[in-house]
Amino acid sequence: MTSRGTPSRFLQSVLQNGVGRYVCQMKRISLIFSKNGQSSLGAREFIEEGVVDFAQKNPGTVVYVSPQSCRIPKIVAEYLNGNVKEEAITSKTSQQIAELITKLTNQSGLDIIRIRKPIHTDSPSIQGQWHPFTNRPLSIGPIGPQKQQAN
Amino acid sequence: MVAFRKVFIVPHHQKTVMASGYIVSRGVLTFGIHYQHVCRNVLLTHTREKKRWMKAYTLLMERKLKIEGPPPPKPRAQKPNWDYHAEVQAFSSRLKECFSPELLKTAFVNPCYIQSEQERRQALGVDSEMAALVLGDNIQLHRQGLEFTKSFLSDWCRASFPRLPSMGVVAIVAHLTSHPVVCLVARNLAIEDLTMSAQFPVPDEVLHSTFLAVIGALQASSGAERAGLFLRDFLVTQLVGKDLFEMWSVVNPMGLLVEELSKRNMALPEPRLTRSAGAGTVLPLYFVGLYSDKKLLAEAPGETVLAAEEEAARVALRKLYGYTENRRPCDFSAVEQPQAPGLQSFSSS
Repeated sequence: MTSRGTPSRFLQSVLQNGVGRYVCQMKRISLIFSKNGQSSLGAREFIEEGVVDFAQKNPGTVVYVSPQSCRIPKIVAEYLNGNVKEEAITSKTSQQIAELITKLTNQSGLDIIRIRKPIHTDSPSIQGQWHPFTNRPLSIGPIGPQKQQAN
Repeated sequence: MVAFRKVFIVPHHQKTVMASGYIVSRGVLTFGIHYQHVCRNVLLTHTREKKRWMKAYTLLMERKLKIEGPPPPKPRAQKPNWDYHAEVQAFSSRLKECFSPELLKTAFVNPCYIQSEQERRQALGVDSEMAALVLGDNIQLHRQGLEFTKSFLSDWCRASFPRLPSMGVVAIVAHLTSHPVVCLVARNLAIEDLTMSAQFPVPDEVLHSTFLAVIGALQASSGAERAGLFLRDFLVTQLVGKDLFEMWSVVNPMGLLVEELSKRNMALPEPRLTRSAGAGTVLPLYFVGLYSDKKLLAEAPGETVLAAEEEAARVALRKLYGYTENRRPCDFSAVEQPQAPGLQSFSSS
């Protein structure tokens, strides 16, 4: 689809995160998996080996592990700005799930849509934004080309 | 043995979110064909073939949604996967602050919640001695937090903008402690999830007082310095990108400028038209410069000469108070932490 047809946003951070202290934006992660299902095999392995380390390394994120009878194992990540992201981990290996979880932890909760500019600044001009009157002699009359000064 | 279709609508079942169109039911497994009692007179047969009822059912539910509107939002505590104590612990570690758990939990309890709980218990006929509601209010913490916030923000403003007059400082502090700003910060720090209040979505008033109560709790647990750093990192950063006169509404900038200049013993400002373009057109442009003793104070554009003069007065005031867009940015550098963050009282690990 075109850039006008799909949503887009400007580069921003949630609550000026990073200007003061950095706050991990993921507040909650829920692992939903099945106890006996082939698609949840990776999820079960990850829970056996990796999830406790992850929870200890990220004390600011609450990790919920809920075994249910479901066909598709899921990870539901909730962020501080209220967004909820769901990812299916059907037939993924434990390593892939770990990488996915790291990726989700490092995201802010903002939508993954086209970012209009890769830059953002709150003070775009230090010496003053140029406008057509900058560096011109003061004149009230009609504006024309400046007379070249004979050297 | 009974076969179940996935149960979803009943909230106490810990099941997945975001399912579509599953029915609460009891099922029956017989020899090869699965029956499902939707209600007493309706029996659904589970087959692998095309479900001819599915389209009609989905369209009906969509029509119902259109008529009744979306369901009212539920607080996070009433959705699956919620552990209050773990959430409170994570809240304090996420912000890298040492909160005392009792104070923090008290800070989240609002008087309207206690009242509604009492009424609920009375309505249910529970004896007030049997199930006493042992919860403290956050009014005291709220008052302490408000006082501390106002004094810290005023001190910070005076230190960062020494030339700003007290009216400006009051205006900036009022803006930073106003409901919109505080509620924005509180919502993006997940305070709304942890707040205990009578209504959901939490009204702005209640959220505002909860945030200030949390500040009060932080001050009581970790001291004024840590609380000050917290306010600097979360409230003061909301000043980034904001202009002085967005927060401080000045009706007569020229009068204020005259006052300021006379206080500093400088000559009164004289406005002069410096540039103009398109004077007879629909979009005229006039640049007015303000001169004090023949030296330029500020120059600004406007559609009419009066508008340009007012804007020039504002630019001059910004320069005088040192609140221009190209000023040196405020210092938000990290302060060395002597102790490791976390809750003060540790249970096992």
